[in-house]
Amino acid sequence: MKHYTEDDLTLYYYGEGRRRADIERHLDACGSCASLYREIAGTLAMIAAPEVPERGDQYGLEVWQRIRHTLPEQDASSWRTLWTALSRGDRLGFAAAAALLLLAAFVGGRIWQRQATPQGAPQIAADTGTSAGAASVTNDMRQRILLTSVADHLDRSERVLTDIMNAPDRGDISTEQRWAEDLLDASRLYRQDAVDAGEQSVADVLDDLERSLLEIVHSPSTVGAADLEQIRRRIDAATLLFKVRVMSDELRKRDQAPGAASPRTSIRKTS
Amino acid sequence: MDATEAAAVLARARQGDSDAFRALVERHSRSVFRLAYRMTGNEQDAEDVVQESFLRAFKQLGRFESRANFGTWLYRIVANCSVDLMRSKQARHDQVRGDSLDDVVEMPAVDAPGPERMAQSAEIQQRVQAALQALSPLERAAFTLRHYEGRSIDEISAALGLGTSAAKHSVFRAVKKLRIALAPLRSQES
Repeated sequence: MKHYTEDDLTLYYYGEGRRRADIERHLDACGSCASLYREIAGTLAMIAAPEVPERGDQYGLEVWQRIRHTLPEQDASSWRTLWTALSRGDRLGFAAAAALLLLAAFVGGRIWQRQATPQGAPQIAADTGTSAGAASVTNDMRQRILLTSVADHLDRSERVLTDIMNAPDRGDISTEQRWAEDLLDASRLYRQDAVDAGEQSVADVLDDLERSLLEIVHSPSTVGAADLEQIRRRIDAATLLFKVRVMSDELRKRDQAPGAASPRTSIRKTS
Repeated sequence: MDATEAAAVLARARQGDSDAFRALVERHSRSVFRLAYRMTGNEQDAEDVVQESFLRAFKQLGRFESRANFGTWLYRIVANCSVDLMRSKQARHDQVRGDSLDDVVEMPAVDAPGPERMAQSAEIQQRVQAALQALSPLERAAFTLRHYEGRSIDEISAALGLGTSAAKHSVFRAVKKLRIALAPLRSQES
């Protein structure tokens, strides 16, 4: 009679290995293999999974706070040469520039449309139903681009504000300052465009945001506890984080809703 | 975060967007800690592995194939970081003292009325932990993945970057050593 090895029986215990049916039959018939298997199974049954200490909902954020200042350079991939060639700060600048380009395309499109339709002249779009529909679709797309761009901008701003709220009481906030500076220019343009588009509630939130970003940019890069507390108090007083989150959510919902969105004023300016 | 959103976040992270990477860290930290703790058996070591794993993941994101599953890819990094940490700890430990397996084997037997109670007994678990600590880093990693995580030999092989045979034999050696180390407890049981 051929006996099975400890290794065969270990695999069998874990539900792996071939000839499982053969081993099963053999264990019924062979006392020594059955005894060895009982020993293996008995030992492994003693080894219960250790109870893992609980980690709370904020654990991911804690981990991020621990590593964010020590992120290494990423290894290059062939299609990402441009990105890897730029430093982190440059990438932020590049992102801001991309946002500005998008905004410029949006504003430029509007100006071009106004110029292409002289005052007093009958609009081509009014002459045919198809053209009217096309114009409406173009406006809708433009509105969606604005909503998405502003929502992205608010998300990026929220992260800067969150970093400031969670920063150590004394420390270097130069990274956040560079980031805030990149966002500031875009914020001004978005605010102006929101005003032009009749999106007053969006403009109000962007106005509040602009002030906080300015304060962050103009603070010393090595900030003391008192200075940091002052910035935080202002962010708190304006309920800025809350407003930024709510507005971002609302813009995304409007962007996803059929027929885009009309201006709303659900968040009032508080400062 | 739905699948489309997760894919978009991952794509941004691969382009070097640290905000997107932050979202990945926030999403995966708890599962990374769970695996790291099981691999190392120690809270502080697990925290070190969590940190090192995410730093390594960030560095290597450009090489990550977007068709692959990020969780699986990260899982491999965590497993390997754990092995590296255990190796460096063992190297330091070996400078101070020799192999500790004999200590585990020679531990005096204790009264243990039945297997169920034994499995729950804190003292028994301490001995089990000591026996696990005596395994080599690779054996411990392979055993943890097989025994606690329920991974197949093929999955262990992929996670640890080993051939199937090497992965299998790491598990076998671990089980052999554990059988020897825990034999006194088994003799009490019978």
